[in-house]
Amino acid sequence: MTALFRLVGTGGVIAYRALFNWTTPAMFVGTLLVGPLFQLLFFAYLGRQLGVADDGFYITGNAVLAASLACVFGGTMAVSNERRFGTLGHVLLSPRSRTAVFLGRVLPYAANGLLIAVTTMTAAALLLGLRVPLDALPGLLLTLAVAALACGFFGLTLGAIGLRFRDVWLVSNVSVALLLLLTGVNVPAAGLPAWMRVTGELLPITHAAEAARRLVAGDGFQAAAPQLAAELAIAAAYAVLAALLLKVFEAESRRRASLDTL
Amino acid sequence: MIAVGALLHTKQLSRSPFEIATALIVPVVQATLAVYLFRAGGEPGRLLEAAVGAGLMGVWSSVLFGSGGAIQNQRWQGTLEMIMLAPRPPALVVLPITLATALTGTYAMVATLAWGRLLYGIPLTFADPLAFAVAVPGCIIGLGMFGLLLASTFVLLRNANALTNTLEYPIWLVSGMLVPITALPGWTGPIAAALPTTWGARAVREAATGSGPVWPSLGVCLAISLACLALGAIMMTHVERRARAAATLALA
Repeated sequence: MTALFRLVGTGGVIAYRALFNWTTPAMFVGTLLVGPLFQLLFFAYLGRQLGVADDGFYITGNAVLAASLACVFGGTMAVSNERRFGTLGHVLLSPRSRTAVFLGRVLPYAANGLLIAVTTMTAAALLLGLRVPLDALPGLLLTLAVAALACGFFGLTLGAIGLRFRDVWLVSNVSVALLLLLTGVNVPAAGLPAWMRVTGELLPITHAAEAARRLVAGDGFQAAAPQLAAELAIAAAYAVLAALLLKVFEAESRRRASLDTL
Repeated sequence: MIAVGALLHTKQLSRSPFEIATALIVPVVQATLAVYLFRAGGEPGRLLEAAVGAGLMGVWSSVLFGSGGAIQNQRWQGTLEMIMLAPRPPALVVLPITLATALTGTYAMVATLAWGRLLYGIPLTFADPLAFAVAVPGCIIGLGMFGLLLASTFVLLRNANALTNTLEYPIWLVSGMLVPITALPGWTGPIAAALPTTWGARAVREAATGSGPVWPSLGVCLAISLACLALGAIMMTHVERRARAAATLALA
């Protein structure tokens, strides 16, 4: 069991340091802390001008969404950068469980996403004057953590798809853009067509954003719990899907001798 | 030389499935988001404005990421030395690249307008079609010239990518591409007034909606862009000399 935890924990951290491309301080701050804050401000001012919703709606939703950038791209990098750097074959030669190796890699990205979401929410609340009830903070932190984990597993699923399709960055870019649209973070779900709402329900962020909004509104943890549970279920579903896809595509890559094809 | 160079680089950028798909799909997603936001806000009469605004956002993204990484991309391709060896001022050989990034940005504008028309039935009835037909290329040329300043500035910065990733939303916001400048805090006004993106977006919007006179806005956009071009040319010459003297041209 200790060896498994070492594989998941230490292995994940080493892979994070090796594969994550935003680790210089300037790049990290610029891309992952300042970028999401400006995104939040853009939608808050747009929503304010159009009278769609109040600032709290946009601050909470976009703070939850802020976790997605690092987690979705990070999860993708966890697989596709191994191939890009020519080390995927070495990883797959290891006699250890693939599932443990790759699922463990999501954890540092999820922690990273949580940091980004908390920073974005704090900065935006200070700038735009959002008051969050003190007793909502533990629940809010839990919600952001679950959202980050769900995004990480979603990113890992996209990374697994990268074993089959070459242009995984296109898939990641489009997915991140779609999260903006489909998760109800910027357009209230009632304003979206039914098929978009249903699609959004199956994506990370949607349920976490709703749970976070209820917590910020002071409705209490009980009111947010069902949405939080739904987000957790989404995270688990993507973790299983990622593990399955990694297994299937690894077998196919070996069969077709296309493991290192870029 | 500028025209042939811009055409060459536009063709080269257009060969990349990633560039094309990103230029087409991401702005369409943003246009869809803008359409639903404007509808939710009870502003269905402003959907054309939303589609045009989303298209301009796509043009800016293309200029920002393309021009910001123009020098670095040439370096990675191993063609930077050959470009700099050309017996012409460095600005003249880099300007076609930044113009090309703005030109490929027009895919975004075309995509968002076509998407809006086909899927949401947004009537493409421009208040002044002639002015629109002039304002869009004028804005694109202006942004291409602004791109030269970006390219020459970013080459001086080791972590230019961090700045590139950070500058997308602030320029969308401050330039009033979707959010009116009047909705922003007063201190952003002088920043907006100094950016060619603000005047370019304003000219295109005025031509599309008839909300004001197009030509003064387009004139200011091109004047600021020319100033950026001159400044970018001076910086590019300085950067090239420094890189040659220090033998760091090919070093990232």
